[in-house]
Amino acid sequence: MSNRRSFDVELADLKQDILRMASLVEQSIYKAMEALLNQDPLIAKGVITGDDAIDRLRYEVENNCIRLIATQQPMARDLRVIVTGIKILTNLERMGDHAVDIARAAMCVCGRMPTKPLERIPQMARMVQHMVKDGLDAYVHGDVEKARQMCAMDDEVDEIYNLTFQNLISYMEANPHSIPCVVYLLLVARYLERLADRATNIGEDVIYLVTGEWHELN
Amino acid sequence: MRRRIQRTAISSLLLLWLVLTVLWAVSAAGYLSQTVAMVLGLLFAVVVAAAVPRFISEPLFRVAETAEKIAEGDLTKTIQIHESDEVGKLAQSFNQMAQRLRGTLSMVTQEKNRMQAILDSMADGVIAVDGETRVILINPVVEEAFGLNEEASLGKTVLEVVRDYELDRLFRQALDSGRPVQQELRILTPDPRLFRVHLTPLRGAQGGVVALFRDITERRQLEKMRTEFVANASHELRTPLTSIRGFIETLWDGALDDPETARRFLTIIDEETRRLNELVDDLLKLATIEERRNLFRRQPVELAEVVQRAVEIFETRARQKGLRFSVELPADLPPVAGDVNLLSQVFINLLDNAVKFTDKGEIGIRAWKEDGGVAVEVRDTGIGITPEHLSRIFERFFRADKSRTSELGGTGLGLAIVKHIVEGHGGEVRVTSRPGEGSAFTVLLSTGF
Repeated sequence: MSNRRSFDVELADLKQDILRMASLVEQSIYKAMEALLNQDPLIAKGVITGDDAIDRLRYEVENNCIRLIATQQPMARDLRVIVTGIKILTNLERMGDHAVDIARAAMCVCGRMPTKPLERIPQMARMVQHMVKDGLDAYVHGDVEKARQMCAMDDEVDEIYNLTFQNLISYMEANPHSIPCVVYLLLVARYLERLADRATNIGEDVIYLVTGEWHELN
Repeated sequence: MRRRIQRTAISSLLLLWLVLTVLWAVSAAGYLSQTVAMVLGLLFAVVVAAAVPRFISEPLFRVAETAEKIAEGDLTKTIQIHESDEVGKLAQSFNQMAQRLRGTLSMVTQEKNRMQAILDSMADGVIAVDGETRVILINPVVEEAFGLNEEASLGKTVLEVVRDYELDRLFRQALDSGRPVQQELRILTPDPRLFRVHLTPLRGAQGGVVALFRDITERRQLEKMRTEFVANASHELRTPLTSIRGFIETLWDGALDDPETARRFLTIIDEETRRLNELVDDLLKLATIEERRNLFRRQPVELAEVVQRAVEIFETRARQKGLRFSVELPADLPPVAGDVNLLSQVFINLLDNAVKFTDKGEIGIRAWKEDGGVAVEVRDTGIGITPEHLSRIFERFFRADKSRTSELGGTGLGLAIVKHIVEGHGGEVRVTSRPGEGSAFTVLLSTGF
C-alpha cells in the first residue's frame, strides 16, 4: 500500500517536472523571438546558454521515467502517463533546440536586417506561442477538446509559412544584396513551422494520455 | 443521571414487591387462585418495564437526536426539555453550546467576508498555497492577469496554474527557508508582464506561502522613456555645444588674427547658438503644453485662416525646392474650440516637416467637416515613414532616419509638440504613410465648446 502511494507521488512529481521543463522552453521560444525582433544579441546568447539547463532537466526526468518503468512495472493508465511523459519531454527538448536555432539566426542577422521582409514572421511566432501554451494547458487539465483545437491551428501556421516562404524568395530575387541576411529569416520561418508541428505532437500525446487512443492530427 | 435511574429502579422494585406481597396474601387467603395471582403479578411487571423508557430513555434520545443535528451543522435546533433533573440540565448545556457555536460561527463568517472584500478590492494579485505548493486561494487580479479561474485552480500546484519555472522555485524557496522572498519576475501570460513578487511563508502547522504580485510593466516602461528622454536631450544639447566650444578654442589659438576665418567661424557659432536656442525653446514649449494640458483657452478658431497663414510662411521655401502647394479649404468650415497660437504651431510643425522631407511633387492641404468637428489633412509626396517607425514618430527626439534628419536640422520635437497640443484640445492626430511615396497627417479637432 505504501509502495503504491509513493508511486502515485512519483507520478505527480513527473508531471511537475515536465511542467518545469515546459516553462523553460516557453521562455526560451519567447526570448529567441525577442532577440530576433529587437535585434538584441545579448538575449540571443542567453537563449543559447540557457538550453543546457533544459537538456540537463530532460535527461534527469527521462532517467526517472525509465527507473519507474523498471521498478514499478506500471500498467494501463500509469504506463501511459510515463510513456507520454517521455514523448512530451522529447518534443519539448527539440522545441528548445529550435528556439536555440532561432536565437542563432537572430545573432546572424543582428544589425543588418532590412526592415521590410520580416513579413508575417511575428504573427507566425505569436500563433506558435499560443499553440505551445494551449498544448501544455491541455496537458495540465487533461483537456482533449483543447488539444484538438490547438492542433487545428497547425494548418493556419502552415499556410502562413508557405506564404512567407514565397514572399521572402521574391524579396531576395528583387534584392540580391539582402540574400545573406534574408536567408536566415527563411530559416526562422522554417523553425517556427517545426515548432508548431512539435506542439501538435504534444496535443496528440495528451489525447493518447487521456483516451488511450492514437490520433494523427498533423 | 445515575441517581434518577437508581431512584426509579428502587421505587419500581419496591412497588413490585408490595404488589406481589398483596397478591400473595390475597391468594393465600383463598380469594384468588395462585395462577391468577401469578398472571396479575407478571402483568404488573410488564407495565413497570414499559414505563421506564418513557421517563429515562426518551428524553435521552431527544438529546442525542439534536446533538446529531448540531454535529451536521444545523445550529438552529434547541432541545425542548424543561425539567430540572439531570436530563433537563444536559439539554440546557446542549442548548448553550449550540448558541455559543452560533456566535462563533457568525464571527468567523464575518471575518471571512471581510477578508474576501479586502482580497477582491486589492490592486495587487494574491496567490496562497499550502505546504505542497497547491493553490488554496487566488484573487480576481490574479484571475485577470493570468487568465485563470479560481474554482479550476484550487488544489492544483502553482506550476500547473501559472506555468513559470522561476515562480515555482521562489515558492519552494520560501517554503523551505521559512523566510520572505522578493524578486522581479517576467511572466509570460502569454504576453510578458513584469511583476514584483513578494512571498511570505505562513506560520502554523500546515505551512504554506502567500505571494503578492505587483504589475510594474507600465512603471518600468515610463522609467525607460524618462531615462531615454534625458539621454536624448543631453545628447541634442551637447552636439551644438561641442561645435561652439571647438570653434571658440580655434579662435583663441590664433584664428582670431585672420579676420576672414574668424568671420566664418563666428557665423557657424551663431548658427549653432540659434539651434541651441530653438531646442531649448521647443523643450520649454513641450513642458508648458504638458503642464497646462487641460487649461488651454477654448475660443472659436477659424482653422482656414490659421492654415492659410501657416502655408504663407512656407511658400518661399517650397518654391525654392520646386514644390507646389495645393490648398482646399471650404469656406463654410465651422470654428473649432481652442487656442489660436497653439493650433498655429500644429500646422507650422506639420508643414515644416512636409517641406523638409519632400524633394519633388506637391504638398496638399485639405479640410472637411466631420461629425462634431473639423479634420485637416497635410499630405506630401516625400520620403515616407516605414511601418515600424510609424508608431514612434510622435515620441520626443525620435528620428526615422538619423543621418538625413540631422542634415536637415530640426529639434526632433516637432511631432511630439503637435501630438501634445492636439490631444490637449481633446482632438486626435493620425498618420498614414508609404515609404518612398509620401505621408499624410490628419488632425481632428472638436467644434464643441
